[in-house]
Amino acid sequence: MGAAATYFRHLREAVVSIFDGMAVSASHLIRRPYTIQYPDRMPVRVQDTLPFRYRGILDVDLEICTGCLACDRACPIDCIAIAIEKNAATREIVISQFDIDLAKCMYCGLCSEPCPTGAIHHTTEFEGADFSLESLIRRFIAEPVVAYKAKKGAEPDVAVADLLTRGMTYVDEWAQPGSDKPAAVAAAPQAAVAPVVPVPGPGK
Amino acid sequence: MSMLRTEEMTLNMGPQHPSTHGVLRFVIRTDGEVMREAIPDVGYLHRSIEKIAEKVGYHGFMPYTDRVDYVCAMFTNQAWGMACEKLAGVEVPRRGEYCRVIAAEFNRIASHLLTVGLMGMDIGAMTPFVHALREREMINDLIEELCGARLTFNYMRIGGVAWDLPPGWRDKALAYLDHLEPIVNEFNALFSYNKICIERLAKVAAIGPADAIDYNLVGPNLRAAGVNWDVRRDLPYSVYPEFDFEIPLGSGEWGAIGDAMDRYMMRIRELTQSARILRQALTQIPDGPVLAKVVRNFKPAAGECQVRVESARGDQGWYVVSDGTSYPWRVHVRTGSFAAMGMIQKLSRGLMIADLVVLIASLDVIAPEIDR
Ligand code: SF4
Ligand code: SF4
Repeated sequence: MGAAATYFRHLREAVVSIFDGMAVSASHLIRRPYTIQYPDRMPVRVQDTLPFRYRGILDVDLEICTGCLACDRACPIDCIAIAIEKNAATREIVISQFDIDLAKCMYCGLCSEPCPTGAIHHTTEFEGADFSLESLIRRFIAEPVVAYKAKKGAEPDVAVADLLTRGMTYVDEWAQPGSDKPAAVAAAPQAAVAPVVPVPGPGK
Repeated sequence: MSMLRTEEMTLNMGPQHPSTHGVLRFVIRTDGEVMREAIPDVGYLHRSIEKIAEKVGYHGFMPYTDRVDYVCAMFTNQAWGMACEKLAGVEVPRRGEYCRVIAAEFNRIASHLLTVGLMGMDIGAMTPFVHALREREMINDLIEELCGARLTFNYMRIGGVAWDLPPGWRDKALAYLDHLEPIVNEFNALFSYNKICIERLAKVAAIGPADAIDYNLVGPNLRAAGVNWDVRRDLPYSVYPEFDFEIPLGSGEWGAIGDAMDRYMMRIRELTQSARILRQALTQIPDGPVLAKVVRNFKPAAGECQVRVESARGDQGWYVVSDGTSYPWRVHVRTGSFAAMGMIQKLSRGLMIADLVVLIASLDVIAPEIDR
């Protein structure tokens, strides 16, 4: 093949393949956009559309914390600081300090995994920007509180019972070692609002 | 013309250059546009991850393994889990292994999508990058639902995985695979078979099979050179022997075997192969537990072990020495990106400066994996 023929063949291939690409691009003009304008044009808050397992900023429900220190021991970087005192007479545990240093936390979830009641758990909140490192230390205790103790039978206090239901749902989401029960079958509350982001599927 | 004096120039590329993948630096000795040599200077992203393992214990190290290679963290998770299980003789339940393979293969697709997208961006095509990232975003959504994080998954545990597949997830995953296969063709029409792309990548920095083996390349880079080696098939681990899949090989159909185009197409072909594995895994997945019983204070007997996984960047080796306490005595990670960096100095001789960017992108090096 002569040099001129090769030259024109290359030209043709270039033009054809560019039009192939343009056709793909053009077809996206009539497809639904995948991007969303965060945060201004969201019909619902992103936080409400995130899955239940989302590992956002940690929260602690002190009402159901048993003061067992399992979370403190599990954290690989010691960003949880808990102080407890045992009252020998009443056999109660008093928690006087429960701090989580969010600046150090890597949202790994190792602390909420061993928690017996789901007291420490990840929320779907992720907007944590702040002006100082100091204010990133979340202090959950102002006054010393008495730790929760599992009671026989149903929990009498309605508010605490609600928290406990929420906490146990959270605990159930984790895989239970050796258990045959697929953890997810437990009534896992799915995100209440339909997700804004279209679920990937054919034809989108 | 003899009055014109030329001299060699030393240029600095990086560490914060937009097209060096992460914090990488090259010292380039160049004569005009043609390089004499590009010397990689690594270490800017060194975070002593191996040393950290000696301080945080076996369970606590799992989230750190995410940071070894944050683009495909499932594989580092899996390798660490496998190493600990091998040391202590823990057996992972079959459903757990399936969950691992499913998560890992999704991660491989996500990683390869990023690589092919970045290849486009590095040679100046923004559109393919956005298209590839859109697809990757959908995988991130799936993985987020599975384990609560989009990048640093911390999904696996010693003895299995931390969460079972959520209800309805399997159907979503299968629907995504149906959606992905046409998208790969669309992406090929958009970018891979574009004449400009082919001209830009073909015959650039070709690596033959002998060189690839000498320089210890692994994964897609090695297979692009025509060497038929894949840890998933040749040193089987997990449940990979139960799946039927092909290992694509570079054939030099664009001019030279193991050129940048071969390496690029290797990733595109592995996308469909991963989808094939995923389809089988998602339909065959058995019922049962996903996590074995492992004590909190994990203390494997004194000894050492080496495990290898086929990560998106190739054969990744984890060497762990235990002295019988609850902290590993020594951990070492052997990564594909580091070996690939060693080859850049040789390949860069006589290459254009603009082709260096192509070379880096086609070797798919990721800075945290080089430095750890
Ligand atoms: S999420 Fe991880 S790093 Fe953060 S407090 Fe819990 S265990 Fe520690
Ligand atoms: S938050 Fe949970 S793990 Fe931590 S001390 Fe309270 S009950 Fe124990």
